[in-house]
Amino acid sequence: MRPLTETETQTLFAKLANYTGNSLKNLIAPLDNSPNADRYVFRLHQSRCYYVRLSLANLATSISRDKLLSLGTCLGKFTKTGKFRLHITALPILAEHARYKVWVKANGEMPFLYGGHIVKAHVGRWSEDCPEHQGVVVYSMNDTPLGFGVTARSTQEARRLDPTGITCFRQADCGEYLRDEDSLFATS
Amino acid sequence: MAPSRTSTVKSKHATNKSGIRNSKTSTKPQSDGVSKSKKPKSKGAPPKPQKGASSLAALKKKRRIYTEKELGIPALNMITPVGVEKPKGKKKGKVFVDDRESMMTILAMVNADKEGQIESKMMKARQMEEIREARKAEAEKRQEMRKSKLDETKEGIRKKRKRHSSSGDEDKENTKQEAAAGTKPLKPKKKSVSFA
Repeated sequence: MRPLTETETQTLFAKLANYTGNSLKNLIAPLDNSPNADRYVFRLHQSRCYYVRLSLANLATSISRDKLLSLGTCLGKFTKTGKFRLHITALPILAEHARYKVWVKANGEMPFLYGGHIVKAHVGRWSEDCPEHQGVVVYSMNDTPLGFGVTARSTQEARRLDPTGITCFRQADCGEYLRDEDSLFATS
Repeated sequence: MAPSRTSTVKSKHATNKSGIRNSKTSTKPQSDGVSKSKKPKSKGAPPKPQKGASSLAALKKKRRIYTEKELGIPALNMITPVGVEKPKGKKKGKVFVDDRESMMTILAMVNADKEGQIESKMMKARQMEEIREARKAEAEKRQEMRKSKLDETKEGIRKKRKRHSSSGDEDKENTKQEAAAGTKPLKPKKKSVSFA
């Protein structure tokens, strides 16, 4: 387990900034105003990046590397080429700071949770002025985050789309907790 | 090779036998390329007094003597590529970013970058939208013009027909012709052949 290097931090933030707005800086803000306040840090452990409280990360150093399975919230994985891939486990953090959102209707929830892209007919509501190929967080109509993806069209273009046209490409959905149960937390 | 060697040996013996010890000829063979077992003795001896002398001199002058390591002289006298040589006095391994300030600066940089990207994307989308709108409006206008032209001609034909019908004669023929001509009724059909 180690902190991130500068390039790794940059890659991670660039990826997170796809989905979030300026409020991302609250992610690393100290929890209170005291001088030695606890704060959240990013830790890399077996190519996975964890978002974890500093006190907890310090405690975790007492566990040997090969025995330590996970700590804090897993945000995703660094690939061998140095890119970062977000996991569905990062959804609570993304949902909290999301910039662009898509709400899917009740009839579109299941197709999305089974790994389908979002078609226009299933969109209940979307953020205005959203450009093309922009990261969005997908919510159900009662504001439960379901996953995240990338817009296929800008909002204006999507209006002209036919009902079966794809408006948002899925990247991760909550169904992965079941579908990828074996590999999501595996260490190998 | 062989003759020359013998010759040198010969000459060496000759000098030794000559008995002149301090003469130039007696010292010369030591400096030439032929290695002998006796040589190290004579070579090893000189540095000792030299070193002692230099250290004494250094002590006297209080001048610092740098070791080869300190000077950073390369072991081999050759050009080393830029990337190969490791920078001295630098931390080995990765440099971590764990303090809040540097993380904030990186975050601000990334955020500004993303903001710019989104802004440019939006601008582009807006421009495209404008172009599309303009094209659509133009197409609509053209369609309208075509329609009005068609209406005009239709009206013209209708009027013509009415006039013809009022005149009374050859009405049947005309109507037949117009029906056959369809959309191009304005062109007067010329009778080309006539059998007189």
